Amino acid sequence: MSEIKKYWKSLSQLNEDPIVKRLSENEFVEELPVDKFLGDKKNLSESQTSRRDFLKFLGFSTAAATLAACENPIKKSIPYVIKPEEITPGIANYYASTIYDGYDYASVLVKTREGRPIKIENNGTHSNARVQASVLSLYDSGRLQYPLKSGKEIDWKTLDNEVKNKLQEIRNGKIILLTSSILSPSTKQLLQNFINKYNRVEHAMFDSVPYDGILNANQESFGIRAIPSYKFHKTNIIVSFGADFLGNWGANNYASDYVGGRNPKSGKMSRHYQLETNLSLTGANADKRIQIKPSEQAYLLSNLYAALNGSSADKRLKSIVKDLKKNTGKSIVLSDSNDKNTQLIVNAINQKLSNYSKTLDISIPCYLKQGDTERVHSLIREMELGEVSALITYNVNPAYTLADNKRFIKALKQVNLTVSTSSYNDETAELMDYVAPDHHNLESWGDAKPYYNYVSLMQPTISPLFNTRQFQDSIISWAEMNEVDYYSYLKKFWSNKGIKWNQALHDGDFNLSESKYFPKRFVFQGKLTDNKTQDKNIEIALYESIALGDGAQANNPWLQEFPDPITRACWDNYITISPSTARDFGLKNWNISNGALNGSLVNIKSGNISLNNLPVMIQPGQANKTIGMAVGYGRKKCGKAGEGIGFNANNFSNSNFITIEKIEGEYEFACTQLHHTMMGRDIVKETTLADYIKDPSSGNERLEFSTYKGKLPSNKVTLYDEHDLKTGHFWNLSIDLSSCIGCGECVVSCQAENNIPVVGKEEVRKSRDMHWLRIDRYFSSEMTKELAVEEKISAIDMFSEMEEPSENPEVVFQPVMCQHCNSAPCENVCPVAATTHSSEGLNQMTYNRCVGTRYCANNCPYKVRRFNWFQYAENEKFDYHMNDDYGKMVLNPDVVVRSRGVIEKCSMCIQRIQDIKLEAKKNGDKIKDKDAQTACSAVCGTNALVFGDRNDQNSEVAKLREDERAYDLLDHLNVRPSVFYQTKVRNKG
Amino acid sequence: MSNKIIHAIYDDEITLLTAVKKIRSQNINIKEVYSPFPVHGLDKALGLKETRMAITAFIYGCIGISFGGLLIYYMMISGDYKSWPMDIGNKPNWTFYHNLPAFVPIMFECTVLFAAHLMSITYLFRNKLYPGSNDSSPDIRTTDDKFLMEIEVSNSTVNIKDMLRDTGATEINEKE
Amino acid sequence: MQRESEIRDPLIIGNKSYHDITVEIAKPVEGKANKYWWILFFLSLILFLWGVLCIAYTIGTGIGAWGLNKTVNWAWDITNFVWWIGIGHAGTLISAVLLLFRQKWRMAINRSAEAMTIFGVAQAALFPLIHMGRPWLAYFVFPIPNQFGSLWVNFNSPLMWDVFAISTYFTVSVVFWYIGLIPDFAMIRDRVNGVINPLKKKLYTILAFGWSGRAKHWQRFEEVSLVLAGLATPLVFSVHSIVSMDFATSVIPGWHTTIFPPYFVLGALFSGFAMVETLLIIMRKVVNMEAYITVKHIEYMNIIILFTGSMVGVAYITELFMAWYSGVEYEQYAFLNRATGPYWWAYASMMTCNVVIPQLYWIKKIRTNLVTTFILSIFVNIGMWFERFVIIVTSLHRDYLPSAWTMFSPSFVDIGIFLGTIGFFFVLFLLYSRTFPVIAQAELKSILKSSGSEYKKGHNDE
Repeated sequence: MSEIKKYWKSLSQLNEDPIVKRLSENEFVEELPVDKFLGDKKNLSESQTSRRDFLKFLGFSTAAATLAACENPIKKSIPYVIKPEEITPGIANYYASTIYDGYDYASVLVKTREGRPIKIENNGTHSNARVQASVLSLYDSGRLQYPLKSGKEIDWKTLDNEVKNKLQEIRNGKIILLTSSILSPSTKQLLQNFINKYNRVEHAMFDSVPYDGILNANQESFGIRAIPSYKFHKTNIIVSFGADFLGNWGANNYASDYVGGRNPKSGKMSRHYQLETNLSLTGANADKRIQIKPSEQAYLLSNLYAALNGSSADKRLKSIVKDLKKNTGKSIVLSDSNDKNTQLIVNAINQKLSNYSKTLDISIPCYLKQGDTERVHSLIREMELGEVSALITYNVNPAYTLADNKRFIKALKQVNLTVSTSSYNDETAELMDYVAPDHHNLESWGDAKPYYNYVSLMQPTISPLFNTRQFQDSIISWAEMNEVDYYSYLKKFWSNKGIKWNQALHDGDFNLSESKYFPKRFVFQGKLTDNKTQDKNIEIALYESIALGDGAQANNPWLQEFPDPITRACWDNYITISPSTARDFGLKNWNISNGALNGSLVNIKSGNISLNNLPVMIQPGQANKTIGMAVGYGRKKCGKAGEGIGFNANNFSNSNFITIEKIEGEYEFACTQLHHTMMGRDIVKETTLADYIKDPSSGNERLEFSTYKGKLPSNKVTLYDEHDLKTGHFWNLSIDLSSCIGCGECVVSCQAENNIPVVGKEEVRKSRDMHWLRIDRYFSSEMTKELAVEEKISAIDMFSEMEEPSENPEVVFQPVMCQHCNSAPCENVCPVAATTHSSEGLNQMTYNRCVGTRYCANNCPYKVRRFNWFQYAENEKFDYHMNDDYGKMVLNPDVVVRSRGVIEKCSMCIQRIQDIKLEAKKNGDKIKDKDAQTACSAVCGTNALVFGDRNDQNSEVAKLREDERAYDLLDHLNVRPSVFYQTKVRNKG
Repeated sequence: MSNKIIHAIYDDEITLLTAVKKIRSQNINIKEVYSPFPVHGLDKALGLKETRMAITAFIYGCIGISFGGLLIYYMMISGDYKSWPMDIGNKPNWTFYHNLPAFVPIMFECTVLFAAHLMSITYLFRNKLYPGSNDSSPDIRTTDDKFLMEIEVSNSTVNIKDMLRDTGATEINEKE
Repeated sequence: MQRESEIRDPLIIGNKSYHDITVEIAKPVEGKANKYWWILFFLSLILFLWGVLCIAYTIGTGIGAWGLNKTVNWAWDITNFVWWIGIGHAGTLISAVLLLFRQKWRMAINRSAEAMTIFGVAQAALFPLIHMGRPWLAYFVFPIPNQFGSLWVNFNSPLMWDVFAISTYFTVSVVFWYIGLIPDFAMIRDRVNGVINPLKKKLYTILAFGWSGRAKHWQRFEEVSLVLAGLATPLVFSVHSIVSMDFATSVIPGWHTTIFPPYFVLGALFSGFAMVETLLIIMRKVVNMEAYITVKHIEYMNIIILFTGSMVGVAYITELFMAWYSGVEYEQYAFLNRATGPYWWAYASMMTCNVVIPQLYWIKKIRTNLVTTFILSIFVNIGMWFERFVIIVTSLHRDYLPSAWTMFSPSFVDIGIFLGTIGFFFVLFLLYSRTFPVIAQAELKSILKSSGSEYKKGHNDE
C-alpha cells in the first residue's frame, strides 16, 4: 500500500535522469515569463529562497491567499518532489505534512496549486473523511481572523504584553495549560520552558472523547499509559466489544490492516465478531454481530474470561469462545469501555490468549490518546475554589465537550486570566479574556509522534490567511524564550537528534531509533462481575459520527452534508433506536409526499441532565432498550455552516440509564437514501468464505441469454459492430465489496477534487444531493424470495415485507458512481450530443453543450447523474464555501464549476488522467499501472477501489477484471460498464 | 368592337349545373363560375382540366425524404464525423445503413413537412392567393348563397340573355 | 348531386337556406359576445397570467422551483406535454381521417377541432422548452450550422425525433386549417360593410387572401384538402408514436414497452375526442350553434370514445400481462408498484376514468345526453392526464437500484404552470370563437341538401 502511494505521489521526475529533465523543461514551446522572474536558474537552484521569490512574483497575479502565500513561512519548506525551479503555474506541487486537531491524526500529502492547498492525499496510511475535508476548514471564513481581548480586536503586541504582565503578577495561584493530547515532542519540550518560566504552572491534557479506561488499565497492567498497537492482519479472530475501530475508536489506520487480514484470495480471512449497542461502521462490517446493552459489556467480558478459564460461557459467547480457544495468539479482543476494570479484563483475556506481542503489542504503544479526565475534574474543583489564577487552553473546547460543561463555565469566572488559543471563537473562547487564535494545520509547522518511534512532520503549505499565530509561537513569546520562532526551534530540535531535516520534511515522516519499551509482567488484579443488567431500563450509548467526529470541524459544509454511512442522514444528529423499542414508545419514522423522512420527537432525561425535542431515527441493528446518539453536534459557536445543527450529547457522556418520553411534533431529516433493502435484487453479490474456497465464482453466476448462437453472457450479445476499445487506454475501476468498509473517505475526496457543491439540508430533503460518488448501504431483510415461495406469500406481501430491514441486519456497502457504460443509455438519448463516449471507455459530459433536458438522468439505470437545479456557486441562497471569497480558494482549477441547468456526474477524474498522460508523453515513457488514480481510488486506504488501464495486460485492474468475483452491476442490461464490482465475501461461521 | 360581360346569377347549384351544361352545348364560352362552395361535377361540366396538385405533392415528398436522408447522413455519418468520429452509446455511426432504424422517424417527418408545405405554397401561388390581394368575385353574394356565371360575348347579347333566363338565372346584368 | 338515405339522422336541424347558414355562422363574428363568453374569457385570462408568472419564476431561479429530484427528473412537465399533444390529435383525426372516410358529420366540428389541435399543440410545445435547464440555449436542438464545426445534434435521440415531429405536426396543422379557412374568411369579408368599419374589412380582406370562389380554385381546393388529409393522417399517428418512443426506447422498467406507439395513439384520440366534446358542448351554447353541432355529432364522438377507451383498457391489461409473462423481476415490480405502491391512487384514478367510466357510453341515454357527456368527457380528460403521470412518475421513482428510490410531489410552480396552459388554451379558443368562422360553412353548405333535416323530408315526399 504505502509503496504504491509513495510511487504515485512522486511525479516521474523522481528518478532524475537527464532526458526527463530536458523534456520537462521543453514542456512549453516558449518559456513562461515566470522563468524570467526566476532569472538565472543556476543561482536559484542553490539559493535557499528561490521559491519565495517565485511565489512572490506569482502572487501578485493571483488571489489574496496566494498573495499571502508569497510571504515568509513557505520560504523554507521543501516541495514534495518537484524542485523549486520547476514549479510552473498549472502544475500541482505536493507537500508532505501532518493533520492533527486533537482528535484526528493523519500523515498526509497536501496538493497545492499556485500556492493554494486544494486537496489532501494520504501519505501511505489510511485517514478519514474529516482529514480529507480539513482543507476546506483552512478556508473557513468563520475562523478567527485576529486576536481578541474580551471579544474586541487587538494586536498581538498588546496581547502578548498584557498576558505576560498578568502571568508575572500571579503569585500563589496556579497557571494551568489545558490542552488536548500533545503528540509533538518538540511542543512538549517547549511547554517545559513555559512551565519553568512561571511558578506553579501545570499542564493538563484531556481528550474530547475520553480514553481513560484503557489508558489507566494499561498503566496498571504494564506501567505505560498508552494504547497498544493492534496488528489486525495477523489475526484469525477479532472480538470487539463496542470498539468502533474501523470508524473512530483509537487510531484511524486500523482499516488497512483489518482488510489486509481479510483477503479471500489468499484463503485467510479473519472472523470478526462485534458485540455492540449502536450499529457502528465496524459492526456493519462484522461477520457476526451481537447486540448488547452497554451495561452488559463488563459481565460478558468477565464471562468470556471465565469461560476461557474453563467455566461455562454465556450462550451468546459460545461460538466466540470456541473460536478463540482454537486461535490462541491469533486473535484480538478489544473494548471501547471507558471503565478501567473492564479494560483490565480485556487485557487479561488477551494475556490469557497470549496475544500480546503477537497480534497486539503494548511495547509498541500508540500515543494518540493521553488525556486524563480525572485531572480535568480536579481542575474544575480547583477553579471553583479559586486556586487557579490563569488558564490557557489549546486544541480543546471544554465548555462544549465536557459532560459537566455548565460547572466548568461557572468555575471559569473564578479565574483571573483566561487565554484561549482556539482558531475559532468557540464556546470556550468566547468566555475567555484573551483569544490568541492558532493557525490551521496547513499553515503551521509542527511534528507528531503518534506511535512508538514514528514521527511525522507538519509544514505550512500556505502563509496564514488571517492575522493568526501558531500556539507554539505564542508560547515562545509568552515564555520570553530567545528563539526566532517555532520553526527554527523545531528544526534545531530534530537536527540535534541527528535527523536530516530536508529529507525528513520531504518524506513527511521518519523513524527514530528509540529503545523499545519493556512492559512489566502483567498480573490480573481486576475483579470479574456477574450481574446482568435489568432489562427494563433504557440505556444510552454515545458515539462519534463518521462525519463530524468530536465536532471540531462542525463548520465544515462538506462534513455536514456527508451522509452517515449507516443512517445515510446528513446535517443532523438524532437518537437511534431499535424498531421494536420504538414500537414500545410509539415512536415512528415516515416518508412525506416527496419521499423525505420525518421522525417523532422525544425528551430524554438522566438524573438532572435532560435534552428536549430530540428527533428519533429508527435504526435496525440497534440493541433493544437502548438509544444511541452522536456527539459533535449542537455546536453553539462555530460559524455559519455548523451553528445550531443537531444537539449536544456530551452532557450524557457519564450517564448510562435514561428515560424517554414521547412528545408531540415531528422532525425533518435529510437522508440521501430513503430505501434500505435490496428488495431481493441481485445488486450486491455475496458469498461466504467456505463457498468461495469451494468455488471462487460462487454467488457470481453470470446471466446468460439465449441467442441463435446458443447461450451467451450479456457482454457477448450485440446487434452492432463494436467500437474499438482495444487500442490506447481503457480506463476501468474495480470496486471490491469485501474490502470496502464504507468509511466514505472517497466521497469527500471526490467532492474536494471535483468542486462538487454543497446544497444544504432542505435540498437534500428534496433528494437533490449532488455527490458524484455515493456509498449505498443496504440492510438484509427477513423476507426473501425463497421464503415467499415456501410460505406461499403473495408478491404484494412479499415486496412490502422486503421493504422492512430485519432487526439485526447484515449490512453491505456499495460505492456507486457513474459506471461509464460502454453502451451507455444516457448517451443515446441526449438530443444535443452533450454526453458522448471517449475512445478510452469513459462516458463524458460536455457541460457547455448541455441544455438540461435531464433525459439522460432518467435513462440512467444507476441514477448517478446529478442536475444543477439552481445556480449553486455564488448564490447567497447556498451560502457555503462556493459563496465565500475564502471558501472558493479550495476549488480545483482543473475542474470547471458547473452552471445552473446542466447535468453533471463522475468523470473518472479525467483531469487527473490527462495530467498523467501529459506527464508520460513529456517524459516519453508509458503510463505505469497505479500512476493514474481517481480521487476516490487514490485515498482508499483499504484498496477497495482499484483504478487503471485494462488494456495494459499486467495492470492490477486488468487482472481483477478477469477475477471470478468480478461482476457488472445490473449485468442483464448489457450496458457494459467500465466500473465493475467484486463479490462480497463474508466469513460466517 | 367592344366585348360585353354578362353575369347570370343562380341561387341553386342544381340549376347552375344544368345551365352550364346547356350553355356549353351552345358553344358559348363560359368565362368563369363563382360559387360559395365546391359544386360537385361543375369542373367537369365546365370542362376544366384535372388539377395536378397531387403530383406536385408527391414530388415534394420525394425531395423531402432525400433531404432528410442527406441531412442525417452528413451530420451523423459522413461530413465532420469522418474527421471527428463520435461514439454515442456504442451506436454504429460509421455507416448510414447500420444506424438507419434510428433515422427513420426524422426522414418520415421531413417527407410530410416538405410535401405539405410546398404543395400548399404551390396551391396559393397557382390561385394567386396571397395576403393583401384584393381580388374578389364580381358579386359579393357569391360567397353567401348565389352562384354567378360569367360569360363574355362580342356581338349582340339579347338571345344569350333569353337563354340564360330559360336556364333559370334569377338575375342577369350586363357590363361593358 | 348525391342523395343520402333518410335512415341517417339529419346533420343540420331546421329549415335552413344557404343564407341562413351564412348568417348564423357569421353571427358570432359580427355580433357582440354574450356574458358566458366574457366570464369564461376572464377566468381563463387569470389562469393564463398566473401561469406566465410561474414560468418566469422557473426561468429566473432554475428548475429547482419544481418538485423534481435526482431520481424523478421528469414529472408534471412531460406529463402535461404528452397530455396536450394527445388532445391535439383528435382535431387532425376529425379533419383528416374522417375526410378520407368521407364522414360528412365531421364538417360541423372539424374547424373547431383543428383549432383545438393547434392551440393544444402550442401548449404542448411550451413544455419541452421550459423544462430545459437552460432554455435560452434551446436552439441547440436544431441542426443549425455553427462555428464549432462538427457540433451537430444527435439524431439517435427520441427527443430529436420529437423536435422534428412536433414542429412538422404543428406547422402542417396550421396550414391545413388555414387553407380551409380562406373561403370562409372571404365570406365574412364580403359581409363586412367597408364603410361602417373599414378596419374589419381590411383585416378580413387580408385574411381572405383574395379568395373569389372560382370553379378552378374550388377544384384545386378540394384536391389539396384531400392530399393534406392524406398526409396528416400518417403524420398524426407518427407524432404520438414518436412521443411514445421517448419512453419506449429507454431502459427504465415501465417505459421500455413495445406496445407504446399504438397504445399512445389510441390514448391520444381518446383524450382528444373528450376534449373536443368538452369544448363544443360549451361552444355550441356560447355562440349558439345548436343547429349545426347536433346531439348526433356528440353521439358519434361518444362512440369513438367508447371504442378508443376500450382499446386503451386492453393496452393497460396487456402491459400487466406482459410484465408477468416476461418474468423480468424489475418489470414485474414496476407494474406491481404502479398498482399497489405509493402511487396506487394515481393508477386507480387512471383505471376508473379511462376504462370503467367510458363503458357507460354503451347506454344510449347517457351517450345522447349532453350533460352526462360533458361530465364524462371531463373524467376522460382527467384520466388521461393521470395515465401519463402514472407512466412517467411511477416508473421513475422506483427503478433499478433501491438506494435511489424516492418520491415526487409537485411544487406550486408545477401546478401553476399546468393551470396556466389550460388558461392559455381557453383564451386562444375563446378568441378564436369570436373572430373565426367556427364552422366550415362552405363545406357545410355543400351537404345542406343531402343532410339538412328539411331537405331529407323533401326526399321522402318524392
